[in-house]
Amino acid sequence: MVNSIKYAAVNIIETLLRGFPIPCKTGLVKIGDPDRKSPVFLTCNYHLTVERVKKCLHGIDCYLLVANSRGINVWCASAGGYFTNHSVISILKTSGIEGLVDHRTVVLPQLAATGVEAGVIQEKTGWKVIWGPVYAKDIPAYVKTKFKKTRAMREVRFPTVQRVEMAVMWAFPFSAVAGLITLTFWRELFLPLTGLIWALPLSIFLSFPLYSKRLNQKKKMTGFNKYTVLFDFSPIPLLLWGVFIGFLTLSSILTNTFTWGYIFRWGLISFIIVLLISIDLMGSTPVYKSGLHEDRFLKVVLDEKRCKGAGFCEQVCPRNCYEVDRNRHIATMPGADRCVQCGACIVQCPFDALYFKSPKDEIIPPETIRRFKLNLIGKRLVKVEGK
Amino acid sequence: MSLYVLMKVLESAPSRYDRGIRILTLGAVDGAYDRLTSQVEKGQRVLDIGCGTGALTLRAAGKGAIVKGIDVNSQMLEIAQTRLDEAGLSQNVRFCEMGVAELGCEQTSCYDVVMSGLCFSELSGDELTYTLKEIKRILKPGGLLLIADEVTPKSVLKRVFNRLIRCPLAAITYLITQTTTHAVKDLAEKIEEAGFLIGSVRLNWLEDFIELTARNPGG
Repeated sequence: MVNSIKYAAVNIIETLLRGFPIPCKTGLVKIGDPDRKSPVFLTCNYHLTVERVKKCLHGIDCYLLVANSRGINVWCASAGGYFTNHSVISILKTSGIEGLVDHRTVVLPQLAATGVEAGVIQEKTGWKVIWGPVYAKDIPAYVKTKFKKTRAMREVRFPTVQRVEMAVMWAFPFSAVAGLITLTFWRELFLPLTGLIWALPLSIFLSFPLYSKRLNQKKKMTGFNKYTVLFDFSPIPLLLWGVFIGFLTLSSILTNTFTWGYIFRWGLISFIIVLLISIDLMGSTPVYKSGLHEDRFLKVVLDEKRCKGAGFCEQVCPRNCYEVDRNRHIATMPGADRCVQCGACIVQCPFDALYFKSPKDEIIPPETIRRFKLNLIGKRLVKVEGK
Repeated sequence: MSLYVLMKVLESAPSRYDRGIRILTLGAVDGAYDRLTSQVEKGQRVLDIGCGTGALTLRAAGKGAIVKGIDVNSQMLEIAQTRLDEAGLSQNVRFCEMGVAELGCEQTSCYDVVMSGLCFSELSGDELTYTLKEIKRILKPGGLLLIADEVTPKSVLKRVFNRLIRCPLAAITYLITQTTTHAVKDLAEKIEEAGFLIGSVRLNWLEDFIELTARNPGG
């Protein structure tokens, strides 16, 4: 009982602060009553992730290794260069796990494949990495089927719960700042503004399936500089804004409070909110590449001469872009248009058969991606221009 | 010295790291590094753990030592390499992208000096224990361990004072970079527990920055 209240509280608080990294202690966690043959799972040290993974592992006797990702979630930390080979090597060597189990197999979250190289881990530590499901909730089924991953377990999705989470991630910090300002200077504004700041993101994200097909990845909008675009606007958030203005006008007429100034003020405030939320609408989803990064122009190319059909790409692709032709021993990319340029396939291919190609036919080889990831915060070394 | 939390801002932009650190610490870190490396002698084999942009490495190499610098940040290492080439010291130095967990690959008793500046505070408790154990192994008997790092002050008053200065800075740093530094608690005691003999300890007036030398008694 106490535990479930604590778990709920952690989920609520950390969802409000979803945009900020929340680190927790790294190290070894015992789940249930593990023995020398028990499986070893590994995750990052983002507190919310660790709590959720622990809950999902409940009932399985195993070890959980919490590796340093500077408190950032698995996918973001892997792509940004915070969850790396070094994080994994360090936890395997320093946590004491080697003295507790006889085997040398560790299950990593599939989304870590962008930042962690299975080959390097094996070479440096002797531990074999296998890529578990994308979502921790699939782990019990995965363990039950003797570590066989279904197609569904490999794919990222953007269900309602996660869409609400993303809306909250935007709404809470904005409303907190706006709340402080309005409470200090303009108390009457506090409630309506807070309501607006929550309602707009929620409606934008909840209605996401209605317009997601029309978001255009390749479109180059208003240039911020030549490598980034400021807004990846689709007309839909604007349409929602229009609906809101319509509602505002109608309600003010009905309540006899209509003035142009009133509509103008609220129109401007709500427009700014829509604008802020839309800065990186696609980047807030796991199914599109961020509109703020030039990586979205990259295309994954398969070198058929090098491919041996080993299928690492198929195992790590979170969008199920690949299918291995087991007869011809070669990978195919029937789902190439779903690619979100995470680079996991390129990083993991042991034959270097995959690479990124820019619209200007520049080639970004696997070693560059392995070394610099898709470096979100540091100096971006991979520069690609849109056509 | 509490300004070290701002190091994180600089770390996210490695090319600005050196100049930034110098401004923030008003040259204090330079003094600490100079004093520590004054104990390095010509021809000695030296390991720099968490070398970053090579501040300690270059000083030791300048004294004629043969240095290996390791760090997990490839971009910092690139800058270190450039600085090294500019200083014309490349023949004595080798940089490796490698973390403390890989110290197991180093041969037993092969270094005269192991040094580390502002790196232990980045390690987890498990990592620090492991690192000290490995340093003890790879350091020759009588070999030197040189440390400069952020520590937690011992006296309660200074700890409170330190917190007061540190909190707003940590908050700003966290907002910008979403990371923070963690000062090491009882560093000297941990080094002693790992089997080293403490040679000298020098703390700043706030007791939050330590310069420490220790010796491996061997055995």
